[in-house]
Amino acid sequence: MSRHAMSARNAHRVRALAITKLVGASIFLAGCAKDAPQDVFQPKGENAADINNLQYMVFGIAGVVGVIMTVLFVVTMTKFRDKGQPIPEQSHGKPALEITLTIIPALILSVVGVFTFRGVFDLAETKDTELVINVTGQQWWWEYDYPVQGDWGIDKPIITSGQLVMPAGTKVLIRETSRDVIHSYWIPALNGKRDAVPGRIHTLRLHADNPGIYAGQCTEFCGLSHGNMRMEAVALSKEDFATWVTNQQAAYKEPEKDSLAEQGEAVFLNQCVRCHQVNGLKKADGTAAIAAPDENVYAGAAPNLSKFMSRNTFAGATWDLLKKDCRGNVWDAKSEEFGAKYLEGVSADCLNEVDLRRWLRNAPAMKPMYADPTKLEPTDGKYRGMPYLALSESDIDKLVAYLLTLK
Amino acid sequence: MITTGSKYFYGVTALATIAMVLYMVLVNPNDIGAVALGSLASAAALLGGLTSFTRDSTAHTAKEAVAAAEQPAPAAVWPLIVAIGIVMLVFGIATNPIVFVLGIVALVAGGVEWLVQDYASRASSDSTFNSQLRGRLLHPLEFPVAAAVIVGIIAISFSRIMLNISKSAGAVVFIIVSSLILVVGFLVVLKPNMRGRAVGALCSVGAVALIGAGIVTGISGERAELVEAAEEDHYSHMACGAEADKYFDKHPNNAVSLKSATLATITVRDGKAVATLSGLDTPVETVTIPRSNNVQVLFRNMDTEEHRLVAELGEKTVADTGVKEKVEQCTQLTSEDQVNVLTLNIPKSSEAAGPYKFIVPGLEGQEIEVYVP
Repeated sequence: MSRHAMSARNAHRVRALAITKLVGASIFLAGCAKDAPQDVFQPKGENAADINNLQYMVFGIAGVVGVIMTVLFVVTMTKFRDKGQPIPEQSHGKPALEITLTIIPALILSVVGVFTFRGVFDLAETKDTELVINVTGQQWWWEYDYPVQGDWGIDKPIITSGQLVMPAGTKVLIRETSRDVIHSYWIPALNGKRDAVPGRIHTLRLHADNPGIYAGQCTEFCGLSHGNMRMEAVALSKEDFATWVTNQQAAYKEPEKDSLAEQGEAVFLNQCVRCHQVNGLKKADGTAAIAAPDENVYAGAAPNLSKFMSRNTFAGATWDLLKKDCRGNVWDAKSEEFGAKYLEGVSADCLNEVDLRRWLRNAPAMKPMYADPTKLEPTDGKYRGMPYLALSESDIDKLVAYLLTLK
Repeated sequence: MITTGSKYFYGVTALATIAMVLYMVLVNPNDIGAVALGSLASAAALLGGLTSFTRDSTAHTAKEAVAAAEQPAPAAVWPLIVAIGIVMLVFGIATNPIVFVLGIVALVAGGVEWLVQDYASRASSDSTFNSQLRGRLLHPLEFPVAAAVIVGIIAISFSRIMLNISKSAGAVVFIIVSSLILVVGFLVVLKPNMRGRAVGALCSVGAVALIGAGIVTGISGERAELVEAAEEDHYSHMACGAEADKYFDKHPNNAVSLKSATLATITVRDGKAVATLSGLDTPVETVTIPRSNNVQVLFRNMDTEEHRLVAELGEKTVADTGVKEKVEQCTQLTSEDQVNVLTLNIPKSSEAAGPYKFIVPGLEGQEIEVYVP
């Protein structure tokens, strides 16, 4: 081989090595990301901490085993590679070595198994539950309803969506199910994941040490907009949670007479109430306006919009109801200030009107949904997700004004 | 070369192909019928090819073929079966579909047997070889079909007997028959010399007795309580009030899948109805059910008296008449220590009418409120 050819080959090797190092370093450093709300190594509650302790132990043991095996592999490959030497004497098995190599992994797995089983049983414990929340998955959003629980001042069921509001420092039990396909509920900072299966009730413990917002994501592929099926758990201090409960149970406030919001209420009654319930809203004849999503939506339910502006997100927690700076003001608030800021809800100044208007103008354009009437045959003409409603800009103005009153 | 035997298969191939084309043009090109006819054509073509390739497995020379053809055809019952099949088929069109189906079965079975036997009897000049050839072709078909028919006759005869006699007599008959089978089995094992004709005679006597009893009891009909229970048609008029039927299933829900991961359990004990939620050990006073979702509610009766769980789900307006009627769902009447499952799917919120209710008829003041947000 010529000197030039050898030089070119070395340069190629150096370049390949540099690229490998760069990629490896990038992957390694990605683990150090600070703004990673769904990082499984940053537990914010006792259940997630149990999992984290277990995974540190398992990854530690697996890491040591991995390093030993890699070193042995590399040494064997280099030391005993074919250099033209004669084939050494062959022996059929070494019982002592084989027994040792069976016992060592068995011992390691036994240790891991003991801690894993203990963790599994701890995480399945429900006797110490302090608050129950029902969670129902649907393409592509989560519904939360709070059964009557006098100890928490919940005298009448509360229903909301997008954001699960819970008291911090409390053992919360969520009871999951699904209306259509299998979904999976996962707030990594608060616990592991649990499938929501139609026709079944599965339980999952949640516990947040401190007030704050904890992000999550549906982790079972559930159709077209699976990637847009997000969730947020909002932990409030017990006092702030009591305030939130009181507000959620407060009676419906009619919009001011002759206001744009009042016209928006009429638009809502004409268009939106077919699927969306607002508790306390009355029709022109004075009877309760009861939504009939079972007649229009395949899964039979749509988000209840009572107290809509007390939430920070909409459309399956995919878009913020708050402008960016207002959102940062809540998300980045100190623990002791967080509750007060969250309970402020969405004001007219902080409302992310751009996304909300886009959504009202043409929801399927923002979030992929089965909104094409020609493709609804398998669902008997019922939609999966919100359809295009052909609202006029005037109607959208009125609706935005009305929605701002739902607080 | 197209041999004598392969002509039949090529003929079937041609007919099936023509039938498939006609079916696709005249009936439905995408229907399973076209697939079936295409499969038949392919299978017959394959068999025809194999038959040609093996030169009918028999006569290899013109001399041998002539000698084979000179063999007189053995006596066969199959032409008679085919004739009976045709008569039954025509008669069945005019009278009863079962006769029609039996006619088709007789026609097809008789036709296949006739064709194969005729083919095998002329395969060579050696009648033993011809008989073996017939067996090789038809035994894989005949034995399973015969076994299925025999098992079917035994099952039908036995079921007619058991449906006719009383429950207690049924248990006795069952014990006697199974004991007899066990004894005969032991005798066959312990006395090998008994095999052969004696076993055949025993089986024949048993079969005749069983079939005879089956025919007699089949004509006699089912026992009175089964007739009455069928006339009640309990499931078509599920009553949520007092049980009107004499015969109903008190143990209907034993499916484990229904009983796991339920929404709530309602237990009646000492005259009180108590609700518990899965995942919580303490009783609750109200139950919240997500709307438009299938949920299972377990009903457990621990009292000696029979009870049922009723879900009162408001009212609905009947479309044609405008009359309002109660919406109710309920379990079967449940006896002591039994569990029933109520599957609910409530599409309408309880927001307008106030909470729905779980009640247990016969227990006053034991309502459990049901919210559907």
